[in-house]
Amino acid sequence: MAERGTGDRPEYLTPVPDPETVPDAGSLLAAVARGEEKAFGRLYDLVAPRVYGLARRVLRDPAQAEEVAQEVLVEVWRTAARWDAQRGSATAWIFTIAHRRAVDRVRAEQAAGDRTARVGAASVDTPYDEVADEVAARLERQQVRHCLEVLTEVQRQAVTLAFCQGHSYPQVSELLRVPLPTVKSRMRDGLIRLRDCLTPEVAA
Amino acid sequence: MTDDVHSLIGAYVLDALDDIDRAAFDRHLRDCEVCRQEADELFEVTARLADGAWSVPPPRLRDNVLAEITGTRQLPPVVPPRSQPRSRRGLRLVAAAAAVVVATGAVTAVYQIQDQRVRETQSRLEAARASEARVRSILGAPDVQTRSEQLKSGGRVTVASSRLQNAGVILLAADSAPGTGRVYQMWTIQAGAPASAGALGEGQAAAVQVVEGLPGMSNVGITIEKAPSSATPTAPLDALVNLL
Repeated sequence: MAERGTGDRPEYLTPVPDPETVPDAGSLLAAVARGEEKAFGRLYDLVAPRVYGLARRVLRDPAQAEEVAQEVLVEVWRTAARWDAQRGSATAWIFTIAHRRAVDRVRAEQAAGDRTARVGAASVDTPYDEVADEVAARLERQQVRHCLEVLTEVQRQAVTLAFCQGHSYPQVSELLRVPLPTVKSRMRDGLIRLRDCLTPEVAA
Repeated sequence: MTDDVHSLIGAYVLDALDDIDRAAFDRHLRDCEVCRQEADELFEVTARLADGAWSVPPPRLRDNVLAEITGTRQLPPVVPPRSQPRSRRGLRLVAAAAAVVVATGAVTAVYQIQDQRVRETQSRLEAARASEARVRSILGAPDVQTRSEQLKSGGRVTVASSRLQNAGVILLAADSAPGTGRVYQMWTIQAGAPASAGALGEGQAAAVQVVEGLPGMSNVGITIEKAPSSATPTAPLDALVNLL
């Protein structure tokens, strides 16, 4: 419905480039909060690929990503009434839940020894370039990609290693071989710079 | 609170904090409206990062989710009580923050709580969900105090303790698991008498353990024992945390 010339394509296949062009995620979530299952179906179609994609990016394993995505989406249904539009967008609320769930799963696995709990050994084997390339590839055609380029190298690495790989900030410090306080400030500065880039009216 | 805590805001928004730091930061946000606004803004940024992570889920996911929600009761909205001295918006924000914490099942290494020996994933997850709320209530208590010591074997142990909750949480984060056939074991010590607070499994280097009644104890000790666990702690202690 948003795009002309794609008449016979089912609505749920419409690409969703950014929240601005899909202003109804919020009204859908509000309807979900009132228990409307039909609205939930539409909200699912709108956000599920990103929820699943986010879980998959962090967890890598498709089966685990599917489990986490299911947990997250059911949680969205369950707690929809707790979303406060004054505090943030519906999509931010949903992806915040999704990211945290995915990261919690990574940490639980690390703690359980399914993966190595030692930061030094295994994680360092994944060269940063590989991560950067993958992130860059996936962010193609996204405004975010452009904005990531505005960051300094360390800012970008600190943000993507935490966000895309679920690394804790001490792990990021280890991986980048920069001191903890530096990692903390690069993460914050990087996000602030991204924010200013994504919302230019604020940047001025 | 302090600038020092606030400097963690980027790591907080990126979910790059451990449980203790995350809980500390949640408390910091509770007291700071401006900081909450900054966090909310940054969450909008990380949500945009999710735009790049687009992956079509298997079609069965939709069926499974829709089937599950038909049997899932929704939480009611938070209705702010009018008689409270705090502003309604303030209360709503706190409630919303709490809801986010609830919704995201905050706790990391919690999956190991209670029953370290449970290997089967499903049981582990169920145990985790049961303990999660307890851990959250302790870490989120207004009077929580944390103390940390290095492990002689490398890594650290952090103990968070709340008198209001009359309970504490031991967060063990060793650099590596002890050798084959050896495990980390946690102890509480009261009047010189040690009691086991649980042992980790072989090959495990991290745990989060709830200890009821912890504020009455004098110390928390960590030892390395023969698997699966020991009845009494074997000297020397790997770490000793003084609670008094």
